[in-house]
Amino acid sequence: MISRLSAGAFRKAAFGAARSNAAQRASSVRFASSRASTSAFESVMSSPATLASASLFAVGTVAWYTHLYGNLPFISEAHASHLSDEGLHPAAYPWPHNGLFDTFDHASIRRGYQVYREVCAACHSLDRIAWRNLVGVSHTADETRAMAEEVEYTDGPNSEGEMFQRPGKLADYMPAPYPNEEAARSSNGGALPPDLSLIVKARHGGADYIFSLLTGYIDPPAGVEIREGMNYNPYFPGGAISMARVLFDGLVEYDDGTPATTAQMAKDVVQFLSWAAEPEHDERKKTGIKAVIIFSTLFALSVYVKRFKWGVIKNRKIVYNPPVDKTH
Amino acid sequence: MASFQVVKKAVSLGPTVRALPSGIPHAPLLNLAVRAPHDAHAHGHGVQPRSDVAPRWAGGASQVGSGLVSKTFSTIPPTINHQQRLMHTSVSLKNANETPDFSAYRHSNTDSNRALSYFMVGSMGVISASAAKSSISEFLQTMAASADVLALAKVEVELASIPEGKNVIIKWRGKPVFIRHRTQDEINEARTTDWKGLRDPESDDARVKKPEWLVMLGVCTHLGCVPIAGRIRKGPAPLNLEVPQYEFSEGDEKLVIG
Amino acid sequence: MALSNSLYNTFFKRNSVFVTTVFMGAFAFGIGFDTGVTKFYDSWNKGKQWKDIRHKYVEES
Repeated sequence: MISRLSAGAFRKAAFGAARSNAAQRASSVRFASSRASTSAFESVMSSPATLASASLFAVGTVAWYTHLYGNLPFISEAHASHLSDEGLHPAAYPWPHNGLFDTFDHASIRRGYQVYREVCAACHSLDRIAWRNLVGVSHTADETRAMAEEVEYTDGPNSEGEMFQRPGKLADYMPAPYPNEEAARSSNGGALPPDLSLIVKARHGGADYIFSLLTGYIDPPAGVEIREGMNYNPYFPGGAISMARVLFDGLVEYDDGTPATTAQMAKDVVQFLSWAAEPEHDERKKTGIKAVIIFSTLFALSVYVKRFKWGVIKNRKIVYNPPVDKTH
Repeated sequence: MASFQVVKKAVSLGPTVRALPSGIPHAPLLNLAVRAPHDAHAHGHGVQPRSDVAPRWAGGASQVGSGLVSKTFSTIPPTINHQQRLMHTSVSLKNANETPDFSAYRHSNTDSNRALSYFMVGSMGVISASAAKSSISEFLQTMAASADVLALAKVEVELASIPEGKNVIIKWRGKPVFIRHRTQDEINEARTTDWKGLRDPESDDARVKKPEWLVMLGVCTHLGCVPIAGRIRKGPAPLNLEVPQYEFSEGDEKLVIG
Repeated sequence: MALSNSLYNTFFKRNSVFVTTVFMGAFAFGIGFDTGVTKFYDSWNKGKQWKDIRHKYVEES
């Protein structure tokens, strides 16, 4: 059965190929019969030896490719997965900037910067944010300048060709806790603390995920083994995260008197990181409002103008007067 | 060659349609002028020559030499229509006596209707022009210096570290900037000079914001320029040393260039 | 009626006046629209923006 089916399929395929050749010829010459030439071909195609060798060739090709490259293309590896591999899905939180017209809560950004500076900055860099970015967002220019001057930056070369240390300026970027990736890994048991500049955009679930992660540390449930130096967090894909819980009630002291609970600090730092990932947020939303208003008005107006211009053409009447028979 | 033509003529069929010398296709067996069948109710009033009704000249008697011959044709030649047929039968009726009624489409008040139409067209122009203008200006802004470049383009100098009568040279946008703390003598000298006779006449007042501080770009380092007022005295330089934009901040303790 | 007539006679009758009006209007509209959207955005986000909390920190320094 299989051999007959395959032979039929071969024949069809062979005919398909032959037809395109034959079609060109057929346009100029008509043959008396096209039967004679194909009967020999057909017998070859439907012979068991051909089928066997073709199958052997296909199997050999696959085996050879797998031997060379390890796996086959376009076939993803299947494996048994567990829901915990994806991490717990974070809840949707009502962020101050969730709405179409809503901006960040800037007081929260200011508190969040404090949390970042006092807690997160010990391990995490914030490479893409400069001191000047804080000016007019969470701090005044003088405050920012004072904060920048507390940090020593390497500058130069000076006129003697040597690098020198100088206090930070507004144009400088946030200092990184580690000089390079290797230093960061060796201080953190082989794990690299990611840069936080774009972390809200870089993680599935965004702000909700970061908040859930920061507040979601629990003891591993029964049956879950966590390696020494790792911590259990159900929101982290796989469950085992190198970062330990860092936010505890009263860890920082807010200068505006907000009680520094774990959730409050997590919310503030996530608000700060959301801003850091998207400093252009306000401009984006304002431009969006303007674009929607402008283009919907333009659309309505162009519909009116189109109807106006076509009105003459569409309301035109054509009158047909049949010729009158003059002989009558 | 001749025999070939003979064979060809014998073998090939004649064309079904011949062309007359005038180029018009001639099909003798095809009666293109055939008319609708005779309408019994027309009572001879319809359109006149009809192919399906034998005209009177289809038969008749004629006198020949041998006597009177009566002829009746069993077939008749096609009637040749000499009347020109036009695409439009209404050509002769150019001025239709009936004008369509457009009153349903007319606005009752043509003045306000006209103003409204122009207003709509004008508003579309206004909004389109506004959108185009902001698109273009946004695009041009992408060519302007970015925020980090602008942030670097400012330099702060602590003035307290410069004693009277001394210069400092700092780098600003890759160019050296002279900052001189002038003594009172130098200020007096710069002020009393007859600056109107200089090559590039410019008063000292116009070149400094505070008389004791002289800030200028040291791009032209020609020997003719003495940094008392930075004005050209002699030498090939045509202009005074350029004064960059600067301002004093924090109660005269800091100088911000840029 | 009188309004539409005077409107037509002032702005629409001559094409040069019409085109000038359109371009001047576009300029004015651009400024006004920007201001309006910003005003709306500020009122919508009252208390959340830096300009609303700035006074707390400027006085200190």
